[in-house]
This record gives sequence, structure tokens and C-alpha cells, in this order.
Amino acid sequence: MRITVNIPTILRPLTNDQKRIEITALNVLEVIDQIEQQYPGVKEKLITEGQAHRFVNIYVNDNDIRFSDGLSTSLQDGDSITILPSVAGG
Amino acid sequence: MHMNRPLTGCMITGPLQNPASDFSVIASSLRYQSSALGMVCETGENSGSNAAFSFEFKTPHTSPVICEVTRWDDASRHTPVTENIIQAACGLMSVHGRASGKSQALGVNYVSTLTAALALQGGVAASIGQLRGLSVSNSSVSMAAAALLSVGQYIAGATAFESPETLLPGIIPQPACPPFVSADGVIFELETLDAGPWQKFWLEIGVSSQIAGKGWTAFLLRYAKAIAPMPAELIAAIANLSYSRIVELCAITGMATCPIRSIDARAQDEDCKRVWLQGPWEFAFEPTLKSTPASVAGNDLPLSGLTVIESCRRIQGPLAGHLLALLGADVIRIEPPGGDPLRGMPPMAEGCSARFDALNRHKTIREVDIKSSAGQAEIKELVEHADVFLHNWAPGKAAPLNLDHEHLAAINPALIYAYAGGWATDGGAQSSRNIMPGTDFMTQAYSGVAKKIAGASGTQGGSLFTVLDVLGGAVAAQGITIALLNRCMNKVGGKVTSSLMSTATLLCSDDLQKLYKPQNTDITNKSIIDAVYATRQGHCAIECCDVKTTERLAKALNITIGIDEEGFHQHLSDLLLSRTANEWIEVLEQADVPSAVVVEDLTDLQTIPHLQPSLTTGSYTKVISPWRFK
Repeated sequence: MRITVNIPTILRPLTNDQKRIEITALNVLEVIDQIEQQYPGVKEKLITEGQAHRFVNIYVNDNDIRFSDGLSTSLQDGDSITILPSVAGG
Repeated sequence: MHMNRPLTGCMITGPLQNPASDFSVIASSLRYQSSALGMVCETGENSGSNAAFSFEFKTPHTSPVICEVTRWDDASRHTPVTENIIQAACGLMSVHGRASGKSQALGVNYVSTLTAALALQGGVAASIGQLRGLSVSNSSVSMAAAALLSVGQYIAGATAFESPETLLPGIIPQPACPPFVSADGVIFELETLDAGPWQKFWLEIGVSSQIAGKGWTAFLLRYAKAIAPMPAELIAAIANLSYSRIVELCAITGMATCPIRSIDARAQDEDCKRVWLQGPWEFAFEPTLKSTPASVAGNDLPLSGLTVIESCRRIQGPLAGHLLALLGADVIRIEPPGGDPLRGMPPMAEGCSARFDALNRHKTIREVDIKSSAGQAEIKELVEHADVFLHNWAPGKAAPLNLDHEHLAAINPALIYAYAGGWATDGGAQSSRNIMPGTDFMTQAYSGVAKKIAGASGTQGGSLFTVLDVLGGAVAAQGITIALLNRCMNKVGGKVTSSLMSTATLLCSDDLQKLYKPQNTDITNKSIIDAVYATRQGHCAIECCDVKTTERLAKALNITIGIDEEGFHQHLSDLLLSRTANEWIEVLEQADVPSAVVVEDLTDLQTIPHLQPSLTTGSYTKVISPWRFK
């Protein structure tokens, strides 16, 4: 599956300033593993102990992966992944 | 030594009982704040011109500081204002209007309360400056600068270089945002800081995970963007349940809920009157030998050379640190390893979230893992040489980290230990509330602020503008500055606590006065005209507090005031449609009628000449310090 990943500004220092990366993968974890191979250091910014960080939101198209199958969420050809920090107040 | 009135022996003198009508709410809040701090309030003449309201702040150890409050930063501009006119002119109506349906006033004396707090803080800071050898005798703030400060992070989001947000009033169809309404008509907030409880809660109600996920994305937007476009399925599903069932489901799933309560209900709470009498800060001091901080040089700011260690996330705590930095303090911000994730929250400006930068741009960053013993040792080392330690951790978190007041005061007895909390200034006594996240929207609901705003706005709940986070940040910074002055004067170190709830008490202090001491309450009349009107192009806000102002309006617009009030309002609405808002405001300003073009797009603020002294443009538009010292 051909997937477009939108890289947040905060991770661009690790990806040679690339805003978008094209990846072929079947699920979200595979996408992150493949980015990690090309650009080491990205994975630890997103995942600890097999889970996405509490303060990181990963969306497939517009859907938060926590509300699908998390990092195992499967992907369709042409899907786009967006990574954003989460915010709460107080 | 315990002392909760740290400015006993200090005094403010000014036209506190009879200021120009523009400043009457500010004067009333100043009287309340000053009395709560133990100060004597003496009524005197206004020592400034009519363009300003000024009072003197005196301590037994310093010469008087003239504290000036102006309407605008641009000293040449004398156009009369009111609370609501400033809200219209400086973008608050715009931010509140994003989710409330249209540009409209908050319905609380927000800018006036904030201006009063900043004005008093300016006098206190200037006195600290004097005790440190600075020649400063005058501090000024403007209502416009206070208003712009309160929406600084929204202005940042709207003007960021990379993908700025365009969020205009009425952008979200009503009522697709919290609060929610149960089958038995209870209006309530839901809150959780994690996706897990949210997901479980909606699954229990039978909402699909995908729709719940859409709702979560919208829910997270509240704090950043003042909108929360909830899927209709969520609102419909929850409307089928009784509130008692919703409370049960919250208990099962880990979600928190709070009904929207009235100020009257809040006033009945056991702690409310005490908090109201005490003021929004709780102080506790202990004598210490070390007291006088290093002296400062000629052009420095009052807090230059003082060090603040800040371990805070989100809005209230970071804004408190930001205000102390604007007074000159060196603020060292503790962030988790890898940095605060909110640095990456779009829209971005030069590699950092514009909204984040708006609250944190003057700070030095130290990445520390406060959960590790090495990290705690690092914090303690910083604290040893610091003047202030400020945190906003969840209740009960400081002690297990060995970073509570007791531990840090043992290292540095002259330290001011500050906590900017959510629910209460005294964590222990209010433990039943402490289990709920003490966030802006929950405390708006619990305190009565949400209901008051709803009543004025024709909505069901409070504002998605983070009303209490922003004012709470100012209150925390003010409490710290007061504690620092007390340290300089009386050789003490200590603790100052404030909370979003205590901030709500400050914001509603007049309402509580009416309930607790009706005999001492000034009778305030409702304005004759107080509305936002559509014009041929744009909206204008007009407020006429009295008959004389209404007569000036009628004369300027060449209309007659009849006995038929409704007919007059209709005539006015029709007439205003014939010209643009800018054209009308020119006419009304000449007639000295409080009025303003309603700023709907926050990017317009930087193009308005009389707001420019408070703003600087660049990779995003920044709001500069509200204080001027000389």
C-alpha cells in the first residue's frame, strides 16, 4: 500500500526537512518502522513500549488510530498519515 | 509565622469610590483585591488626567508608586470605553464567538478584572524594583493591552507564518459543542485528558469507535482553538440518558463530569465564602535570614536578575511564568526529555508552535525527567539558587517527587514556592473535587462562571475561550510578585497558591458580594444600550450606560428618543445598516459614545493604529508586555 506521511515541523530536523514522505506499508507500525530505517530517531519520538506516546496523536486520513486498532491499524492504498501533538488545558 | 494578608501596612490611594464610569469596575476589583491583601484603601483624588485612572501604591519601605490605568496604550486616544467595548475592539468577542454563534460579549467583567490585577501587580513590582535600587516611580497598564494579552495565543494562531488559522465568529453551527444535555435536562461538562476514558464512555453508550474518535479530535481542539465541533451522533446519544446514568457511566469508564451550576449554588459551598474573603491567593510565610535579592542596574526591569524555575504545562502556569519574564525575571522552564510536545502544535512559526511560543518565548529551556532521582536532584540544584519555584502539577504529585514545599524550602528557605492549581488552594480539604481534572471548562462549570456567560450569550455553557486559564495565569503571577515584595520587606520565604476556582471567585467577586453582603453592594444600573449591531459592512458594538450618553448618541445619529424603547432600538438597528461600521464609529467617537468596530478576524488587530503599541509583527503577531515603568 502506498501511503503519504505528513511530517510535523517538530520532526523535520530528523527527516532532512522533508514535509511529506511516501512509504509502502500495510499498517501504521510498519510505516513508522520504515521511516525509522530511513531517518533514525523518529520512532522514539512517537512510540514507547509498543504504544504511541500519550501526547502524540496519529491520524489515518482524519481518524485517530486510538479509535481504530492503534499502531496495528491497517492501511489502504492512498491513505495519508498525520502526526500531531495532543493538547489539553488547565 | 502564618500570614495571609501579606500587604498589611501597605496602602492604595485614589478615586476608588468615584472614578470615571469607564473605570468603575476596575476600581471595584482593585478595592476587593487590596482589602483581601490586608491593605488600607484610601479614597483620594485622581492624580492623572481624565484619560487615565490612577492610584498610588505605598509600602512602609518604599516611596509611592503612581499606578496609571489608561483605556488604550496610545496615550493620545481618549475614546471612552466600557468592558464590552474593549472586548469588541481587542478580539475577545471574536474568540468567544467562534463557538457561541456570533461576535458577542462574554457577559463577565473580564478585561476590567484582569486590568485591575495587572495594575496592582505593576505597583507591587515597581516597589520591588525600588527595594533593589531601581529608580522607578510610575507603572502604567491599559485596558486594551490587558485585553490583547488575554487573547495573545489566539492572535498567534491566527497570524502564524505557516498555515495560520482562520476561525471567524459563528464558524461552528450551534449547539455542536460542549456542554452536553441529558434526557432529564441537566447541562454538564465531560472531561478527560486521555483518549482511553473517552473511548470507553462512548462505547458504553453505543457510539461507534470511529464516531467517538471524531468527537475526541474535536474535543481536543477546545483548548487551542476555542471550537469543538462535536459529531451530532454524540450529542444525540447522550441526550437519551438521565444524568444519574451518565454519572454512573463516568465512574465506570474514568470520565469526569460536572453539571453547570449557578453562582448562587457555588456560594452555598462550604469553602466559597472563605475563598471570597481570602482573595484568590493563599499565602504562608516563614522567617528567613536571607532576604534582599541582588540589586539591579539603571535600565533594568523590576524583577531583572531574579530566577524563576517553572515546571508547568498548557496555559495557566506557562502564562504566569511569561508575565514574570515580562517583568524581567529569568525564567527557566523545565520540560520533559524531548521537549514539551506542544512545541509542535500547528500552526507553526519558525519551527515552533506559534501558540506555544506566545506563552514561552522569553524562557530558557531545561529538559529534565522529574520522575527520575537524577532529575529531581537537578531541580533541587536549580532551586538552591532560585527565587521562585512554580508548578501546576496535578494535586498530590509534588510530595512523591520530593519536590513539595517542605523539601524545597529546606534547600532554600527564602524560596517563594508557587502552585497554580485547578480546583482549590488547599488540596487536602477539597479532595473529592481533586479527583476530577481541574481544567478550565470544568471549573467554569462548577464555579458558576459558565452559567453566567451562558446567560449573557444565549448558550448552554461557558466560553471555549479559556477564560479561567488566562486570568488564572495572571492571578498566579500576581501572587508570586506580592510574595516577592513581602520577602524583600519582611525577610520571609514561603508559599503562594492560587487556582482556577479561586480565580473564578475573583471574577465573580461582585456577584458574591451581592449574595454575602447585600447591604454593602453598590447599585449598578443596566446600560440603556449595550449591543452588537450589524452595519452595511462589519459589526459595531455600542454601549450607553446612562441617559446623557444615549442623548449624545441620538443627537449624533439624528434620531429621537421616544418613550417606546423597543421602537427606538429597532430604529437604531435599521439606521446602522445604512453605513459601514468604520463610518459609524467615526461619528460615534466624535460624540463621545463608547463604541468600537467589532474585530472579527484577529489578523485585523495589527492593522489598527491605536493597538499597534501593544503588538509586534514577525513570524506571528506577538503581544508585548502590558506594563510600562518609569
